[in-house]
Amino acid sequence: MAVREQVYWEDVKEGEEIPGFVLPITETQIALQVSGSQDFYPVHHDRAFARSGGHPDIFVNTGFMRACFSRLMTDFVGDEGWLDRFSMQMRRMNRPGDEMALKGVIKRKYIDEKGKHKLDLDVWAENQREGQTTVCEGTVTLPSRS
Amino acid sequence: MARTPEEILEEARKLVGTETPLRRAPYPVEYDPIRRTCHMVSDRNPLFLDPEYAKKTKYGAVISPPAMVNYFSGRGAWPHSMMESMISVPTAGDRAINLTVETEWFKPVKVGDWLSEKHRLADVYIKAIRLDPKAFWVVQERIISNQDGEVVCIERNTSLRHRTPEQIAEAGG
Repeated sequence: MAVREQVYWEDVKEGEEIPGFVLPITETQIALQVSGSQDFYPVHHDRAFARSGGHPDIFVNTGFMRACFSRLMTDFVGDEGWLDRFSMQMRRMNRPGDEMALKGVIKRKYIDEKGKHKLDLDVWAENQREGQTTVCEGTVTLPSRS
Repeated sequence: MARTPEEILEEARKLVGTETPLRRAPYPVEYDPIRRTCHMVSDRNPLFLDPEYAKKTKYGAVISPPAMVNYFSGRGAWPHSMMESMISVPTAGDRAINLTVETEWFKPVKVGDWLSEKHRLADVYIKAIRLDPKAFWVVQERIISNQDGEVVCIERNTSLRHRTPEQIAEAGG
């Protein structure tokens, strides 16, 4: 596998979008969710259970959303970058039939007190039904050309 | 007579500040769970999937995706319970939803590393949500360290426990 293209801190600016991706929430994606997260809580795969709790349908779990944001930001920072932190809030559901898109934008570009080249990112998941469903803000370190 | 949510909360709040002992995961960090999690979200990052590629990077080995570090520090879903190592908090309802997850990562976690974790109950309170006027909000922290005793990740998770519509009707609100 070829070495991946690396983005450097000097190459980006505040307000720029970072590359996103789309994941349709299909029934197969729900099965992959259970396999990948090992989260067997039935509200994420059993419609009768979800509806008995007052939900309109099953919805994807925290581990799935964490993995989505992790993918978005680790793809962006490349092999030489580092994901320092993120905080995500699950406000609405992503459920079967949704076309979920992961997107992000560079909110702040700075050098921290330790001389590290940082970016604060606003990233989010959205779908065609509800707009933004899960919002997340993260901090990453990028390599510098200097 | 069933206890009221307020009475249950009083008992739960006595646990705030409680910390579990540091507990080592039953298994080390392994390739295949990483592959399954990457498959889940179509993550093709070779740092997570390709040992030959990862060997040539600064890490020298396949690393765990950041979002999976808590998977490898935990007990797994079976034969243990995922909740087994967490602090058991009494709540009025037993339906759970995660709301906010804050995580910081300090060091890479590589295949072959062996993680440990401890939990701390940071807060518990009642706040209304659409599904339940007396939902319990539970804030737990998880501190994850590696085999060298270095903290690799700290997570703060806010989840809620709510009652079903039937349970709310039975309790009169």
